[in-house]
Amino acid sequence: MLRFLYQGLLRLHPPAFRMRFAEEMQSIFDQVTERSARVGLLADGFLSLLRQWSMRPEFWHEFASGGEHAASDGIPSFYTLDPYRPRAAAVVHGLILTMAVFCLTCFAIAYGWIHVLHVSIPEVQVESSPSVVPGAAAAIPDEREVASRPGDRTQDDFSGSSRSSQAPQTQAPDPKPFTAAEQNARGISRPAPPGRAGRRARRASAFNTAQNTASQPKGAPESSSQQIASLGSGPAGTPVQPAASALPLVPNTKIEAAERHRVIEAAVADLTRYYVDPDVAQKMAAALRAHEKSGDDDAATDGEAFADLVTQQMQDVSHDKHLMMIYGAAIAPESPQPPSAADIAAYRKEMERTNCRFEIVRVLPRNVGYLKFNAFPDAEICGPQAVAAMARLNDVNAIIFDLRDNPGGYANMVALIATYLFDRPTHLNDFYDRDKNTTEQSWTLVPVPGNKLADKPAFVLTSHLTFSAAEAFSYDLKMLKRATLVGETTSGRGHMAMGRRIDDHFMIRVPDIKVVNPISKTNWDGTGAEPDVKVKAADALATAEKLAESKLRGK
Amino acid sequence: MKDDASNFLPLAPAALHILLSLAAEDLHGYGIMQDVARQSEGKYKLRSGTLYDNLQKLIQRRWVEELGQRPGDDDPRRRYYRLSSLGRGVLAAETARLATVVREARLRLQVAKPRRA
Repeated sequence: MLRFLYQGLLRLHPPAFRMRFAEEMQSIFDQVTERSARVGLLADGFLSLLRQWSMRPEFWHEFASGGEHAASDGIPSFYTLDPYRPRAAAVVHGLILTMAVFCLTCFAIAYGWIHVLHVSIPEVQVESSPSVVPGAAAAIPDEREVASRPGDRTQDDFSGSSRSSQAPQTQAPDPKPFTAAEQNARGISRPAPPGRAGRRARRASAFNTAQNTASQPKGAPESSSQQIASLGSGPAGTPVQPAASALPLVPNTKIEAAERHRVIEAAVADLTRYYVDPDVAQKMAAALRAHEKSGDDDAATDGEAFADLVTQQMQDVSHDKHLMMIYGAAIAPESPQPPSAADIAAYRKEMERTNCRFEIVRVLPRNVGYLKFNAFPDAEICGPQAVAAMARLNDVNAIIFDLRDNPGGYANMVALIATYLFDRPTHLNDFYDRDKNTTEQSWTLVPVPGNKLADKPAFVLTSHLTFSAAEAFSYDLKMLKRATLVGETTSGRGHMAMGRRIDDHFMIRVPDIKVVNPISKTNWDGTGAEPDVKVKAADALATAEKLAESKLRGK
Repeated sequence: MKDDASNFLPLAPAALHILLSLAAEDLHGYGIMQDVARQSEGKYKLRSGTLYDNLQKLIQRRWVEELGQRPGDDDPRRRYYRLSSLGRGVLAAETARLATVVREARLRLQVAKPRRA
């Protein structure tokens, strides 16, 4: 009886799922003999049925990926639809049902007092924004995307990264600021930083070596001919190679005093050479040696404990969350490979799937624009989406940027979105590279023709989960007095750190690039960007709406 | 096909256990269920509906590969599954993430301990 019921349940599953897994599920059911376990499977099968029909529409017709199976003898076998030809009666029933649903829907549209269907036709604002890419506006969903949230916990710095030059040229979001000629002539490509993997490597996520280009604003001084293109990579904005996928999980091995000494000396060398603040680097070096001399490290006889101890010793002096000694096995190659075309394609696909993390584009009451986006993806790939989103909000009286779930990403996207808030190219940030002793500048782009937002009140919603490039956007606009920050203090990650290999087992992550705001002459590292109006993140939107309303009323 | 693994972290318990099972060897569905029960010392019972729902996603993300049937198996309906190199990378990333969490938790619990007078 139970078997019969279970069989029935399996038959009710979506065809793709049923064809692929029903046999195996039945086989498992047959294998289980205990009655209580069978009842459990039956209940689970019922839940599975609900889940498959309600939450997995993307798999309903997924024949393509399930259609091909490598047979055990290596010859692929293929499903065909032949055995599943429906009965004639089923076709008739389906026809009647379809007609009935169609008539009901038409009736509901015509006579329903509630407008259940909102068919929105994407608008292309040719006059106001010639840069809008036709069709791009349609890509902006009004409802929350179901895509996975960016892994905000993994974003912990601006890892300056650049896409290799073989990256395919993408459609420019705006012909003015992003012409290919300008990109080639003026944009810079930061070389892929070797081993900029740090903690990400330990997490065995891949290295981001994507290269960006960003165009130089026409009004920018020639001396600032270089512009940082990327504020880094993150879960949201990272073409990734699974280089670390080969990382073995090795047992924690014992280490001797000689190895500890060698690791400490290598750490001291890296700190004094690369750490963004040379004075603090000296102090840390002295502290590490003092601890070693006084025998504080003797107890740490396994690799992981020793790495944690050294991390603690460095952070006690510097209070820098990015500094870290990392223990693992063959953590990183000497120089990570640049991303392949497949990596770039995968990144592009992921961005397309998630609409470049632009989650909500909406006009709130009193014509206040609201843009929630959960990353600053590479403008070279996501420029059209950003331009379309901003174009849709071009006629609002005030604008709210919601960065409460934004873990950061690329500087070129920061510059692109900030461009809409200014009527001239504006200096956002400097990036100081300790090792190269160079400073590179980041500017907004050439003003977008037809843009009406340059003089409209702007608000930025922040939370403690606002990271990295999202903090840069918040902090820069605050310093320029261009936006009011509402919400919580941001996480405080303003350095770019790089993982440096010490040996097969140890790596040190040393912040070597710091962001310097041209107005404050400092950054938000460690402190976070302080909001102008401090409220809980959950209340930030309501507060910003009220502020916008009172500001507009006062005009 | 490569994917940004960190986008999918943290993993749901079911996905984590499945990847963990397949990390050691290729298994069929029932084998995975048994291994998950063993891993969790019987505390986490993965049933077939949940298993195949997760396998469906993992295969689509290319973290797991379907190997098909094996000749000579007790039950010809069984299909075997293998962890792909991408899946192995994701598992390693998640393990490292969990290790960080555990370390942080230990650190905080230590700090939170009342000191002796």
